[in-house]
Amino acid sequence: MIRSENGYFGEFGGRFVPEILLPALTELEDLFFGLRDDPAFWQEFVTLCQEFSGRPTPLTPLRRLSKQLGGAQIWLKREDLNHSGAHKVNNVLGQGLLVQRMGKQRVIAETGAGQHGLATAIMAARLGLEATIYMGAEDIERQYSNVFWMRQLGSDVVGVTTGAQTLKEALDEALRDWAASVETTHYVLGTACGPAPFPELVSYFQSIISDEIKEQSMRQMGCLPDEIVACVGGGSNAMGAFGAFLEISEVNLVGVEAGGISLEDGKHSIRLSQNTGETGIAQGYKTLFLQNDDGQLGDTHSIAAGLDYVGVSPILAHLSQQGRVIPESATDNEVTEAFSLLMKTEGIIPALESAHGLAGGFKRAKQMKPDQNVVINLSGRGDKDIFTVARAFPQREWTEFLQREAVRSTEALAQKRGH
Amino acid sequence: MFPTQYEDLQIMSHAVIGFPSLEENEKAIAGLAEAGVKLIELQVPFSDPVADGHTLVNACYEALKHGGSVQATLNLATTVCARHPEVTFVLMSYLNPLFRYGLQELFEKASAAGIKGMIVPDWPVEEIEPWLPTLDALGLSPILMVTPNTAAERVEKIAKASRGMIYVVSRMGVTGHETQWGEKFQNYIAEIRKHTDLPLAVGFGVRTAKDLNALTGKAEVAAFCSQYIEWQRDEGSEVAANKMKSIIQEIDSP
Repeated sequence: MIRSENGYFGEFGGRFVPEILLPALTELEDLFFGLRDDPAFWQEFVTLCQEFSGRPTPLTPLRRLSKQLGGAQIWLKREDLNHSGAHKVNNVLGQGLLVQRMGKQRVIAETGAGQHGLATAIMAARLGLEATIYMGAEDIERQYSNVFWMRQLGSDVVGVTTGAQTLKEALDEALRDWAASVETTHYVLGTACGPAPFPELVSYFQSIISDEIKEQSMRQMGCLPDEIVACVGGGSNAMGAFGAFLEISEVNLVGVEAGGISLEDGKHSIRLSQNTGETGIAQGYKTLFLQNDDGQLGDTHSIAAGLDYVGVSPILAHLSQQGRVIPESATDNEVTEAFSLLMKTEGIIPALESAHGLAGGFKRAKQMKPDQNVVINLSGRGDKDIFTVARAFPQREWTEFLQREAVRSTEALAQKRGH
Repeated sequence: MFPTQYEDLQIMSHAVIGFPSLEENEKAIAGLAEAGVKLIELQVPFSDPVADGHTLVNACYEALKHGGSVQATLNLATTVCARHPEVTFVLMSYLNPLFRYGLQELFEKASAAGIKGMIVPDWPVEEIEPWLPTLDALGLSPILMVTPNTAAERVEKIAKASRGMIYVVSRMGVTGHETQWGEKFQNYIAEIRKHTDLPLAVGFGVRTAKDLNALTGKAEVAAFCSQYIEWQRDEGSEVAANKMKSIIQEIDSP
């Protein structure tokens, strides 16, 4: 697994935070550095993932689809089968172990698609912790089903209404909460971004994905895959899928960013490729940010709330600059096509975030030979996207159902108020 | 210039460049100078001001829509530093706008504009240290922050890198909420004084004449910022300056 040099990966990373947050980051780093090389700690983590989240997740061959595309054999790493429906839970369970060791009673988190927030709410409920989840008001509208479940699980979900009201603003707000609560609260950062040690720490827990891919490909393919493809928002599922392969140069590593609607400013979330992102320092770390000449962070767009983010993991920025990770992108339209193709050909409903990995992976697999293997990290399942997907594929009966459901829901509320 | 140690309490106030507009900034600063404010922070608006509460977050958001930027701040600084020589102007910014501008060039231009100090909340002491010779040569004082949870050895390190004064964050949290000034706070101030002879500027939660009186004799500078920006937002720069004037007149002589 990759190690930082004093929190830096090449020129990226670091810890650029208000002084008030420094003691908590140092405490977390000391704890993490003391545990990460301890096999017993890793085993404790793996066992927890097995018992609670159903790991190891399968490596599923897409036989019909591979044949149809006529290129390499495509395999999916099924992170969608985790409890909570996405890879996010790996990191959250790991940080839960750290929270227990620190003895803190409250956790906070930022969330974009709501998958990290949901995983945090689940962990908090299980460990009896108080939880506050910050989520952009725009993202709340896009991913309401996750908001619903977070609240049912007992978490406080706070809508953030500053700026573009997406993941970037949620992260700012979580940092503000933490500045006031840092002595009693742990910030469960959800992706491989933010101030050191978070990029390294999140990548460490997520590397359970690539550990399994390695072992499963040897068993199921008889060799290592030729290529591993993952979508890149903040970068946690990509770092998880790539981690164990960084030193194995024969395995190509491909990160697919959100191409959105177009390359125009504010219409995409491409930071690694096409010279869109530029080096900046914000949200506690140095990386490639979408920003203007004045250093103001830009607006982003993606059909997938979880990829709609202005920065990117400093580790991926470094690996991409080194040429180790190949950056690709997929547009909203390519993503809905790939989404539909997987669903109809293989019976798997992917998250729109993960469908970026599919779009990029399918495109590349087509150019490869049938004796080659591509593993795509299916980071999450698509249940949460039912409303967004319904708008992408409009159907009269769905709209009519929603209207009837709105009436039933209103009646239920009136009845509750009446009692 | 910056006050000397144990000098009577001075007020530092605030301008977010571009809020409510660039023209209004000039008038507002003149009003503050007239009211008796001795130090003014010129804040470069930023899209993601993580150490600020909602008042300044929203002011930044508005300011960016009205032409606020690093360059606009330098331009304004050139004008107001010349116009108000009795006031010490301090550049306040998050790191990224300055980083994008180019730190060396920014420091040179800020110094040439007449700016005397800099407050950059997300620029840690370790990253500032290599710049100290440059900053000292330009006469630009880095004013670093100490917080209630900063360990003693780190206060020592921060005090060593600070020039002009030290910014004492009065409590945990972000700007714009109330603070208690009891014994705990006084012990905190006493701890910091063990490590430095620099004057102390206390900020976060300085919102009333009562707060200023509580700080009289304990700190050399009180940063009266979010409350002022709220007055400016709700009642305009002129009323805000009048309120500032009357509040300064209410400070008890020690």
